[in-house]
Parts: sequence; structure tokens; C-alpha cells
Amino acid sequence: MLILIAEDDELILRTVEHKLVKEGHEVVLTRNGQEAIEKIEELDFDLVVTDIMMPFASGIEILSAIKRHGKKVPVIVLSSMGQEEVVVDAFDLGASDFMVKPFSPNELILRIKRLTNK
Amino acid sequence: MSFPSIVLHELILAIIVVLILVLLLIITVLGYSFYSYRILHNRHTWRQIIEYKIMETIVGSDGNDEQNREFSRYLKESSFRVLFLEILVDSGRKFSGAAKKAIDGLFFDFKLEDEAWRRLRQRKAYLVAGGIQELAEMNIEAAIPEIKAKLKDDRALVYQEAQYAMVTFLGYEGLEFLTHFDKPLSDWQQLRLLSSIHHIPELSDVQVYTWLKSTNDSVVIFTLRLIRKFRLMAFYPAIYALLDHVATSVRVQAIRTMQAIENSATIGQFITCFDQQPIEVKLEILKSMKVARSKESEDFLKKQLLDHPETSIKISAAEVLVVLGEEQYLREISQRTDTYDELIQIIKHALQEKKC
Repeated sequence: MLILIAEDDELILRTVEHKLVKEGHEVVLTRNGQEAIEKIEELDFDLVVTDIMMPFASGIEILSAIKRHGKKVPVIVLSSMGQEEVVVDAFDLGASDFMVKPFSPNELILRIKRLTNK
Repeated sequence: MSFPSIVLHELILAIIVVLILVLLLIITVLGYSFYSYRILHNRHTWRQIIEYKIMETIVGSDGNDEQNREFSRYLKESSFRVLFLEILVDSGRKFSGAAKKAIDGLFFDFKLEDEAWRRLRQRKAYLVAGGIQELAEMNIEAAIPEIKAKLKDDRALVYQEAQYAMVTFLGYEGLEFLTHFDKPLSDWQQLRLLSSIHHIPELSDVQVYTWLKSTNDSVVIFTLRLIRKFRLMAFYPAIYALLDHVATSVRVQAIRTMQAIENSATIGQFITCFDQQPIEVKLEILKSMKVARSKESEDFLKKQLLDHPETSIKISAAEVLVVLGEEQYLREISQRTDTYDELIQIIKHALQEKKC
């Protein structure tokens, strides 16, 4: 499966990447929202994991871009505490699931499995 | 020896001295810049090495021997250990579950405890605060007495970190400091403390009542937030009594808390006290009525809409009436010939809000 991870925190990005590669997935990493939108336009992903707050474009803008391009891809949103309202907006724009930081990478893998088994 | 030649000789000497001084200054500035660059460069490289080590630990791969040897070599440098400690604390806040346990394990595997103790005993506030944070993150309970003593420190950075650490260690019991705390508890600090309390013991009543009577308004507000978080119904009468508190901010929080733990008397009590309250509290009461959606408040709201002199109250009352399903009543009022323009606009605005 081809998975896009959009996250500006290097440690989170690398950790999730390693976990997913270990699970046998192919991973594309982006460190800002704009780069993520460009990758989404360019490639067909099976799943997107995105942070809400990122430089240049937010997770919400990524979701809008996915919707605008008519791509049917499940999206898991990573949010921080106190971003509940933004998470509601994310679900309105088609997010499939969300996790609040601090989060467990193992749980993220389980959620990815659940979403992609559907 | 003639007079002008002496002057010329001394002048040349003075110029040479100045040039030497300028040269020394340039060398010093260059040296310092190089040193700063080295530190920055080292920190950047070290950060990458440390983050890689943390990532390896989380995902459960051990890395190769050469990398491990290199890491051990770096660990001998004190500034590397300090940076490692800082990044570990920061990383601990990003992950939970097995990943968090793996990060905690690194503290002990690399014996970073000594570093944290050293920082706790430094003079500079930011170092002390860092030490407190690290010891709390590592859950070093032996540090509790020393951290507790820092609650009395005059520097906000230190006592705030000590407060947070005490709650991290002891949960609700760590809030004991509130009883004698006389400085303002910032909103941010209140949220940090609240998010770290997951349980309230049964015998907490005496303390909570004491905090509700505190002369420090921010302690009272924090307690009200605590009551809201844990829905502590038993304190309802004490909260109602706070509607006479001198501080408007306390009254506003009291209204929010009454609404959060409301009972059958709440709306009636809001209506009874309404006229004696300042505008901020009145608006908060109307907001609470909007959330409660009780038909009991209908007549009261109609009265406020028609008779209250403040426009903001009229607007809020109209909005609550819309939520209660009184659109028809509002339309009738706006269509009456004796209704003044401002009221018509307020009603239109409220009906429009509903559509949005």
C-alpha cells in the first residue's frame, strides 16, 4: 500500500515511517502541507496520515484538496489537545479517523489496518 | 630632540596600539562567531543523532555497533547529555503507550538522572525549571521534597514548573499548594494542571470548600473548573453562593459550573439573580440558558427581549428564543406596527443566525 505521511515533526515522521515500512507499506514523507497537496495531486495514495497544524498549508487544507480532486482516500488526522473544533471540521471534510497527540504509534498502525481492511 | 618629532613618534605609537586593539577585537569576534557556529552546528548534528536513537528505540531496532559506539562517545560530553535530556523530555510528550515506555527506558539506560539533579540545583530559573521537568518526566519520586520546596520560589518559571511536577507525581494531592497560593494562576497553568488530574479522591470535600473560599480569585476559578471537569454535584450550593462574589470573573465561572452540574432549580436561580448581576454575568446566564434549552426560561427571555435596555442582552435573548423554537413568536413581534426598528433588526439577526 502507498501511504502519505504529512507531519512537520521529524521524530514523529521518522517513527511512523519506520513502523509502516516494517509492516510492508511504501511510504511518502512530506514535512509541510503544501508539499503534501502536491504529492496528492501527483500520486494515488491508499491512505493519508496528516497532522493538523503544519507550515504552508494545514491538515484541513489537505483534506479540502483531496475533496477538490475527487480522490477517495481514507485520511487519519493527528491533532493536539485543544483542537477539538478543528477535528470536527476535519470530519466534515471527509476525515476517516483521528488521533490526539501524545499518541501510540502501535495504535496508529492498528487503525491503519482497520481502515485499509474495509 | 625637537618638539614636533616627539609628537610624531608618539602619534605613530598610538596608531599602532589602536591597530593592534582593532586586530585583537576582530580576532575575538571571529573566534566567538566560529565558536557559536560550532555550537549551533553541533546542536543540529547532535539533535539528528539523538532523534535517530529515540526513533530506533521506539521501533525496536538496535542500530549497528558503530552507531552505538559513536553515541556512547558523544555521551561523554556534558552538553550532549543535556541536549539528550531536553529532547527526551520533549519526545515523551509526543508519544503514549509502548513508545512512551521506550522513551522512559532511555532515561535510565543512559543514567540521565544525575544531569537532571544537577540542573535542579542550578541558580538560573530556566535551568531549575528544566531540571524539575526532567525529574518529573522520569518520575523520580526522590525529587519530590526538593521540588516541593521550589513551590515557594519567587520566580514564576520555577514555581509553575514545580506546581505541574507535584500534580504529575501526586495527582490531586499535588494541588495542596493551592491552599496558601497567593499569586495569579494563569489560564495556561490551570489547563496544564487540570489535564494532569485524572481522579479525585472521595475525601476531597474539605480542601475543595477551602479553595472555593480562597481570597485568590484564580484559585477559586481553577476550583470551579475542577468541579466542572469531575461533575462534583455536591458543591452546587457553594457555587450558587459565589454569585455574590466580588470578582465578575468568578461569577461568570460560577454560572458556567452551575450549568454544567445543573439541577431542577438552576434555571429558576438564574432568573432570580439576573437583575443583580453585571452585564458580563447576565450574558453568561443567557449563554447557559441556550445550552440548557429549558422552556422554563421562555417568559423570562421574552421579557428581556422586550424590556431590557441593553442591546447585547436583547440579542442574546432573541438567540435563545430561536433555540427554544420560538421563531413564530419572534416573527409576530417583528411584524407588529408598534415594534421599533432596532428590535426588528435584532430579531432578523437571530433568525438569520439560525439559518446559518
